[in-house]
Amino acid sequence: MKASDIAILAFYNLRRNTMRTILTSLGVAVGIGSLAAMISFAQGISGNISRSMENNDIFTGLTATSRSIDLDDPGARRSSSILSQEKAEVPLNDSVIDGIREWKEVAIAFPIVSKPATVQLAGRSLRASLKAVPIEMGEFPPFSNITRGRFFESADEPRVIISRQMLQQMKILIDGESDNVGLGGDVLSLPLDSVLDKELKIVTRVFDPDKLNFINPRKGELPLSNEVTSLRIAGIIDNGAFSSGVFNGTDVVIPSLAIDYVPCIDLRSIYDIMDGKSDSQHKYGSVHIRVKEHRNLKTVKFKLEEMGLQVFSVGDKLEDIENIFLMLDSIFAAVGVIALLVSILGIVNTLIMAIYERRKEIGIMKSLGGTQFQIKMIFYVEAAFIGLVGGICGVAGGKLASQAASSFANSQIGKIIGCDLEFFDFSWTLAVVAILFSVIISVAASFYPANRAASIDPLDALRRE
Amino acid sequence: MALLKVSNLCKTYYKGENKIYALRNINFDVEEGEFVSIVGKSGSGKSTLLNLLGGMDTSAEGSVCVGGINILTMSEKQLSQYRKFTVGMIFQSFNLIPTRTAIDNVKLPLIFSNYPRRLRETRACELLYNMGLYNRALHYPSELSGGEAQRVAIARALANKPKIILADEPTGNLDTATSAEIISLLQMFNKKHHITIIMVTHDKETAGRVSHKTVLLSDGEIIKITTNPNP
Repeated sequence: MKASDIAILAFYNLRRNTMRTILTSLGVAVGIGSLAAMISFAQGISGNISRSMENNDIFTGLTATSRSIDLDDPGARRSSSILSQEKAEVPLNDSVIDGIREWKEVAIAFPIVSKPATVQLAGRSLRASLKAVPIEMGEFPPFSNITRGRFFESADEPRVIISRQMLQQMKILIDGESDNVGLGGDVLSLPLDSVLDKELKIVTRVFDPDKLNFINPRKGELPLSNEVTSLRIAGIIDNGAFSSGVFNGTDVVIPSLAIDYVPCIDLRSIYDIMDGKSDSQHKYGSVHIRVKEHRNLKTVKFKLEEMGLQVFSVGDKLEDIENIFLMLDSIFAAVGVIALLVSILGIVNTLIMAIYERRKEIGIMKSLGGTQFQIKMIFYVEAAFIGLVGGICGVAGGKLASQAASSFANSQIGKIIGCDLEFFDFSWTLAVVAILFSVIISVAASFYPANRAASIDPLDALRRE
Repeated sequence: MALLKVSNLCKTYYKGENKIYALRNINFDVEEGEFVSIVGKSGSGKSTLLNLLGGMDTSAEGSVCVGGINILTMSEKQLSQYRKFTVGMIFQSFNLIPTRTAIDNVKLPLIFSNYPRRLRETRACELLYNMGLYNRALHYPSELSGGEAQRVAIARALANKPKIILADEPTGNLDTATSAEIISLLQMFNKKHHITIIMVTHDKETAGRVSHKTVLLSDGEIIKITTNPNP
């Protein structure tokens, strides 16, 4: 008996009970669709977050600071430094950072220098932070993949890089972007040309001796005034909804030497002033370090802690994040598996019903020389066909449902996070695997009915009317 | 050597604690090309004997040798081969698959025997034509008369060119005229194509008239074997 003959006989049998075949296939479709959608959701969520983190080098970046901060009692640090001198703070200056740069595990290390500012563009303004980057950062994400504009050409180039997220917060859309994150009214649409290479006004606060009131200092305002610096925009980063560890969406990035062009009162460390420490000792508050590979993270962290520095890294939490994703995957898969189990019971039920209905027919087939194997194969092919149809419909339905759910989720969450996310990762591989799985599981579900059909006694079957 | 040799065949079953003999010490031979009738009253063991000869039942003592091989000791796979190529079965209630057309019913054994697909249609048409049913090929069993349905069953039994046709009361559900037609058909295949026919019937007169050998059964035992060299 040829495979094609078995397929024709099986197809013929299924066609005899079209409605039952459709309903059983629908049951499989619901099971497979749910399972595929759940897996794609788990993959989408974990992939989305992981991708964003990887793109922004979060897993390889860490920040070290010389100061320990007790969030419960911010004043505790200072008092302890006065009362106990046995553990001195490590000064973060150029020579210390140069030393860190020499470590073989370190890709780049630079001090975090920032200035508070208000930025103005096309009549819109936003509170932001001016952050300095070394020219070497051009080789690392997110600066290595700037799609609009370019990175800095020199460390003293008087230009800035802003993010798409910052523009959105200023309610500015560029290049005909649609407002898919719900910016609300008063949105300004600008062509890319009118943003790139155009001037960004940076308003900073500077010390103004003219405003000092020595006669009655309590009455007067702070001796500060606004200083406006205009710098051209070199590029726009499309860094999504997540920060890159050290840079976030409301930062204006500026070359490390060019930051000196922007005057700003330095309120970096009131404690340092009060402690009477010199500028050369404690030049920087913190340093950002990127290791060459994620596996170097622990070594570098250990070395930094040995130096007495406080270290923070998101990469450190990678294992916890992975465990959360694994748990999510397991929960979603379990829900899908339950749906699939129900559909398997549907297949078993359908085939057992078919045995009762076709008992005499099976007896006739055996009396005509049909072997147990041939009878089994007919049932397997019937189940495989149900699985195939159910799998295809399930994948198609799951894909449609996931797209609808994704659109809905983006319409709600997109407003909050400022950009669209791919909540479902419904790849072709997942679709093919889901269909194959559907066929395999359906054939597996037919083992018992097929064996029961094959073991029917022809004599007994033919006696029945 | 006889085509079929039944030796010391016994079949028993239990009803409560009582051992019932369905067949007791059955011995007879069937030569190639013979028309053999098994006659007897209801419950005499005719159909039980035929089912053992057809390999539908193997739970018996003694032996049923076909071509020198005891079919009672055959494996399930060997029995399938035996039912496929050596014997063709005809039943009182026709046992056609009601949801398939006449030609599809005839093609079914050809599918199981891996008969070439392109020749199946021709073979099935040829058989139906020989049965005078060419114009009924696409009819379902429910659209056929009893005689026509039994002729389709005969065509199906002949599909794989078996050596032996086993007919279990083939005329039991038919009127006299149609019964005569069916018996004539079987006779024709026996004489023209030298197909061995073993027929179970309770019609002693017809059996004696058409058969080379008539085996009379009563309570599972052979009472008498009569022969007729020129049926």
